[in-house]
Amino acid sequence: MTITIGEGTCGIAAGARDVAALLKQRFPEAHMQSVSCLGMCHQEPMIEIANPDGKSYLYGKVNKKNLPKIVHFHQGKGDIPAANFIRSSDEPDTDKGSYLTSQTRIALRNVGHLDPTSVESFRARGGYKAIEKILKGGMSPEAVLEEVKTSNLRGRGGAGFPTAIKWGFARSAPGYPKYLVCNGDEGDPGAFMDRSLLEGDPHSVLEGMLIAAYAIGASKGYAYIRAEYPLAVKFFGQALQDARQLGYLGDKILGTDFSFDIKIKEGAGAFVCGEETALLASIEGQRGMPRIRPPFPAIQGLFGKPTIINNVETLANLAWIINNGGASYAAIGTEKSKGTKVFALAGAVSRGGLVEVPMGMSIGEVINKIGGGSASGRAIKAVQLGGPSGGCIPASMFDTPIDYDAINATGAIMGSGGMVVMDSQSCMVDIARYFLDFTQVESCGKCTFCRVGTLRMKEILSKICEGKGTMEDLQILEDLAPQIKDASLCGLGQTAPNPVLTTLKYFRDEYIAHVQDKRCPGGVCKALITHTINQKDCTGCTICKRYCPANCITGELKKPETWVIDQSLCINCGMCKEVCNPEAVIVESLGLTAAHSQPMRASA
Amino acid sequence: MGRFAVSNQSLEATVDPELVRKWVKDIGSDSTAAVPLLQAIQTEYRYLPRKAMDLVVGNTSITASQLFGVATFYAQFRLRPVGRHMIRVCHGTACHVSGADRLDTAIRQILGLQDPDQDTAANGSYTLEKVACIGCCSLAPVMVVGEETFPNLKGADAQRSLQKHAKAAKEVLPGDAGQKDADGDTKDASEAKKSKKSGEARP
Ligand SMILES: Cc1cc2nc3c(=O)[nH]c(=O)nc-3n(C[C@H](O)[C@H](O)[C@H](O)COP(=O)(O)O)c2cc1C
Ligand code: SF4
Ligand code: SF4
Ligand code: FES
Repeated sequence: MTITIGEGTCGIAAGARDVAALLKQRFPEAHMQSVSCLGMCHQEPMIEIANPDGKSYLYGKVNKKNLPKIVHFHQGKGDIPAANFIRSSDEPDTDKGSYLTSQTRIALRNVGHLDPTSVESFRARGGYKAIEKILKGGMSPEAVLEEVKTSNLRGRGGAGFPTAIKWGFARSAPGYPKYLVCNGDEGDPGAFMDRSLLEGDPHSVLEGMLIAAYAIGASKGYAYIRAEYPLAVKFFGQALQDARQLGYLGDKILGTDFSFDIKIKEGAGAFVCGEETALLASIEGQRGMPRIRPPFPAIQGLFGKPTIINNVETLANLAWIINNGGASYAAIGTEKSKGTKVFALAGAVSRGGLVEVPMGMSIGEVINKIGGGSASGRAIKAVQLGGPSGGCIPASMFDTPIDYDAINATGAIMGSGGMVVMDSQSCMVDIARYFLDFTQVESCGKCTFCRVGTLRMKEILSKICEGKGTMEDLQILEDLAPQIKDASLCGLGQTAPNPVLTTLKYFRDEYIAHVQDKRCPGGVCKALITHTINQKDCTGCTICKRYCPANCITGELKKPETWVIDQSLCINCGMCKEVCNPEAVIVESLGLTAAHSQPMRASA
Repeated sequence: MGRFAVSNQSLEATVDPELVRKWVKDIGSDSTAAVPLLQAIQTEYRYLPRKAMDLVVGNTSITASQLFGVATFYAQFRLRPVGRHMIRVCHGTACHVSGADRLDTAIRQILGLQDPDQDTAANGSYTLEKVACIGCCSLAPVMVVGEETFPNLKGADAQRSLQKHAKAAKEVLPGDAGQKDADGDTKDASEAKKSKKSGEARP
């Protein structure tokens, strides 16, 4: 019997280690294997049990309580535990299993299928075949570059610049040594594709770095990984050691003249360090401030030498392209966006996790078909794509295909792949304010328009969220946006207004509701909502009172008719609503006409 | 944010100069070593004691302006001492839309943090820090206490997880004077049970 357990960061968070320990007790003779996240984060902790007869079963949401049923089934007692069952080797096409079968996995081909700490397990799945094909098969760097050119691979870090063209610049640039940097900073909040790759299949990223380095003639490499991903740092470090020992890394790789070695640099928590020139400054030990380009890093990068910076996912595609040919990769996708894209699906969606789909699939298919639609049953309102540089696409436009140009046309960007789904209980003005707050804090401060402009935008958005905005403010936002975009040096400032512009474009009615009616339709903005207790549903259980941080709820045990919230003290934190089991707490945004100066506080 | 911990003399670290010299030997003494050296110091002392930074400047070619410039630029670095345990509440996009603010409110309450700039409990037990995405977005909202990550939290769950942690770590939570009972309500066993149930019944 073989038991496979998903022990990525998310699996561990959901309790995978406890489940593993229990399984070990129950099946002491079983072979236990730890893999990273299978991508179905909504089903964590996940286990797969392969019986001695070869049949295997995948289970999700396993915990102490339901584990005995699973154990019984595998001891030949009882039925298959339906609540946890996802799919089996006999029955791969279940409803829950379709999450995986609807995907096309190239970058994620190994994630969740191998032990990331074992190079043998990587090689058993065809790992290092591509670099062997190149080095032992005598493929020239030009031939590698040509293959990647045929694939039409575009960088997955956000901007989507053609990879082979960028490599070409560095390849022909004078200067020695040349550097290849893996950008594993992944500062976009709401994105975790790169974490899953580094953590779940570090050798594939490493192999991609070898291929890229060979193609451009680099002899030194850096993997810049954010410190918030300790498991990724650890597993990638282990991969480097193992690869070095087996002769895949270091001097004279596989007995050829190609030498290349990699150092890990841990990021220190600055979003702007994902920007390539800032990242280089950070490796050099400076503050991570972007600089003017040109000269581009491909010509003058790290320590003034030609440097290529590639995103983790870009790199993870390379071995597949070499093994299967660039043409097979280019056969997938749309005219100008080839291959697949990995998304991190999260927010108000039933099945969150990692999703890799062919370019050209519609956004709606990803959210509704793979993601299973709304988690709450409430209507989905929008999806936030591309993080702080991106924007919100309304549900009415969910037939937009996943394609760099089609998404740019909406005003959002593909970005690195964070997809945060929002339902009717989200506020689009609040989301815009959230992102501007983020970019304002993360601005390196070099450009006045970025530093002061984002602050100004954030102040206006806060004002609107507090019900103090005017229609003029919307105009000021629209006037400021193009100036910030034009006058900023780096991508952070150039894209910072996008979340504001897209929400103003598609959700203007929500802005107007905040400004004119002093109402927050999503029920989020604290200054514009009230919490009250519906005494009909209240049981007088006292729980809300105990959790209220403002001490503003009063009432007597088991006397529902006595329960009220003192509106003058309530800070609208929402704790009472969260803990109330009979759902007796009501959140309302009743609004107020422009004549009033203070938002209305309904009495209980 | 974490950089504004209240000054708390008892939490100041005693710096061992030999240790700093060893890091310089292992990591390097040119300007590229600035970030990794600060990371080594912070891993050991959990903040950047002034004395350790002075020792770096004295033992390397890194200038004070570079070192302090770097230390104040990156969010990871803290110049003030912190509590014995760290609580990191994620405020990434997914966590923000799923109620990260309520985790913050709940934890501030149980740590007795009144002033918005105060991030360390008065008894030095815990420091609350805001972080931007820890990569578990599909389990949002999420917090990390010490090394342990807690997924899919409500405010009340966050308090309960923290109480559990505090018990195991033998810490006292300042704002946790039993369950708050403002006007003498007794809570009977059935309610306590119910409250527990409501916390566990998560999707
Ligand atoms: C503010 C800012 C943050 C960025 N963050 C990242 C990041 O976290 N990861 C990443 O790969 N690229 C990031 N980028 C894009 C990189 O600058 C660069 O374009 C990319 O790493 C190139 O790799 P690719 O060609 O493989 O996409 C960021 C850009 C900007 C302007
Ligand atoms: S645009 Fe903003 S982040 Fe970029 S260099 Fe200018 S100030 Fe710094
Ligand atoms: S919203 Fe918060 S402050 Fe207001 S009554 Fe509920 S728990 Fe108390
Ligand atoms: S947004 Fe909180 S873990 Fe990503």
